[in-house]
Amino acid sequence: MIERRSYTRRLIEVEIPILLIVVFAIAPYVWMILTSIKPQAELAVFPVQYLPKNATLDHYRDLIARTSFAGSLFNSLVIATGAVVLGLGVAVPAAYAFSRFRFRARTGLMTGFLVINMFPIVLLIIPLFLMMRNLGLIDTYLGVIIGHSTFSIPFAIWMLTSYFNAIPKDLDEAAMIDGATRMETIRLVVLPLILPGLITAGIYIFITSWNEYLFAMMLSGQAVRTVTVALQLFIGEFTVQWGLLTAGGTLIALPVTLLFLVVQKRLVGGLTAGAVKS
Amino acid sequence: MASVEIREVRKAFGATPVIHGVSIDITDGEFVILVGPSGCGKSTLLRMVAGLESVTGGEIRIGERVVNNVPPKERDIAMVFQNYALYPHMTVADNMGFSLKLKNAPKAEIQQRVNRAAEILGLTKLLDRYPRQLSGGQRQRVAMGRAIVRDPQVFLFDEPLSNLDAKLRVQMRTEIKELHQRLKTTTVYVTHDQIEAMTMADKIVVMHDGIVEQMGAPLDLYDRPANLFVAGFIGSPSMNFIKGKIVSDGSPRVVTESGVALPVKEVPQGSDGRPVVYGIRPEHFIIDAEKGIPVDVAVVEPTGSETQVFAKLAGQDIVGVFRERVTVGPGDKLPLSPDPALVHLFDQETGNRI
Repeated sequence: MIERRSYTRRLIEVEIPILLIVVFAIAPYVWMILTSIKPQAELAVFPVQYLPKNATLDHYRDLIARTSFAGSLFNSLVIATGAVVLGLGVAVPAAYAFSRFRFRARTGLMTGFLVINMFPIVLLIIPLFLMMRNLGLIDTYLGVIIGHSTFSIPFAIWMLTSYFNAIPKDLDEAAMIDGATRMETIRLVVLPLILPGLITAGIYIFITSWNEYLFAMMLSGQAVRTVTVALQLFIGEFTVQWGLLTAGGTLIALPVTLLFLVVQKRLVGGLTAGAVKS
Repeated sequence: MASVEIREVRKAFGATPVIHGVSIDITDGEFVILVGPSGCGKSTLLRMVAGLESVTGGEIRIGERVVNNVPPKERDIAMVFQNYALYPHMTVADNMGFSLKLKNAPKAEIQQRVNRAAEILGLTKLLDRYPRQLSGGQRQRVAMGRAIVRDPQVFLFDEPLSNLDAKLRVQMRTEIKELHQRLKTTTVYVTHDQIEAMTMADKIVVMHDGIVEQMGAPLDLYDRPANLFVAGFIGSPSMNFIKGKIVSDGSPRVVTESGVALPVKEVPQGSDGRPVVYGIRPEHFIIDAEKGIPVDVAVVEPTGSETQVFAKLAGQDIVGVFRERVTVGPGDKLPLSPDPALVHLFDQETGNRI
């Protein structure tokens, strides 16, 4: 009896609320995917038809063949990859220094990196736009990549610093006594040990850069238009091209979802690594 | 192999001085142990020899070379860390061969030298394992193997046995000593455990608050401690200290405030009435029914091979250690007689040996 009652309670207090939250979160995605495989004729019928009668990939075909969406996908790929390379390239040495050396303004800088993340992006984007224009970087890959690094670098430094902190300093010292230079120590001993952190930080930068809209819109034009900006063009003033829009949305969400599944566990671990002595 | 010379070395972290001018000569092949309570600067000094801490003042030489500004990799030293500091992503063989690989030694030579070191330490069967698959004692051995493989000028040990359990510690102690007798490499070893220092060292350096209190052969330190600190630090259980005044008329003795007379073999001339600390090691008491001073027994701890008796003498806590079985209980009186030839006298004010 007791078990029975506690199961009912569990159902009402835990499982049904969680189910509602999950449905609330996932329903738009499901609806998007369903819409993207409906033929044009079924899109606007009334009463609403949930499942497509004649599933089709026409919208995807149109999207690739008749619009510049494929080019945008490539642009996004270049920019996100570039953001990962630049972000990790700067964040790895910086995080190592924050973790291993005690220098003046160390805490100040770390706090600064945290505070930057709290600024509204609008605050950054106007001066950044002017700088990029003066440097002639508007509508170039590099321009957007640098724009994205304003949030990816601080984040990656924070995350990697906690990974580095989890590696005992004694290992660095042992390697240096064994005859390694500081760079060899980092390359041969420390980096292999934080490889999971490196992958996690890299994927995180990739995802945020891939999903980013505001910087991409301000800093790119025709030449390096990203998927997030391209997608928005399907929403016209008078008509919304639902088929193309949802097909594009699905294509954008796909790689990000896969990558996120890879890192989700580690992401939480990385944010708290070194917080307590294990 | 090489000698190590530490000349007037000082160290400050920011404005806080931690080592105030330490000089130690370590001859080629010597096994020197730096010992002292935590915070005395012994580890810092070792890390300065290793090149992991900068030298604030003074000079450190390895062989003929001043190494103050030489990076660790060029000092030709090997160090064993307290937590072993094995590279977790490398096998035992790779851990031990890492230094040779950095030097671009040929593979065959690396393998041969790793195998030889593994043989010495009994690690041959473990060469393909990873550090996480090893027990504490095995990890300790790998850390030593990593040092041996390099055949360095100097071995540095930073409390290498602190993380082992008591039994293994005793075993590894013997192994390290044996290894040194075999390789005869100059060794500097840091520990807070005076028994490790006594059993292994050719020379002990007792440090306290950033200075050297005394250095010398283990038994010299035991027989003739230079001051109260060394007297209390070397030997277990610690030496008993009883305050009193010298009385030199008749048979020389030290008399406590409550009037108990403690025998002394001899006192310096003209020291009558001088306030002193009377030091006697627990193992230098004799149970003597005739001449013994009756003490009040508080606790008796038999360990099998010996018996420790905690008691009060002239109102001060003392401990005695006896090889024979002592059949007393708490509250009993036990007649104890200090061996006058083995008494140490210290000045009450300076704490120095008289």
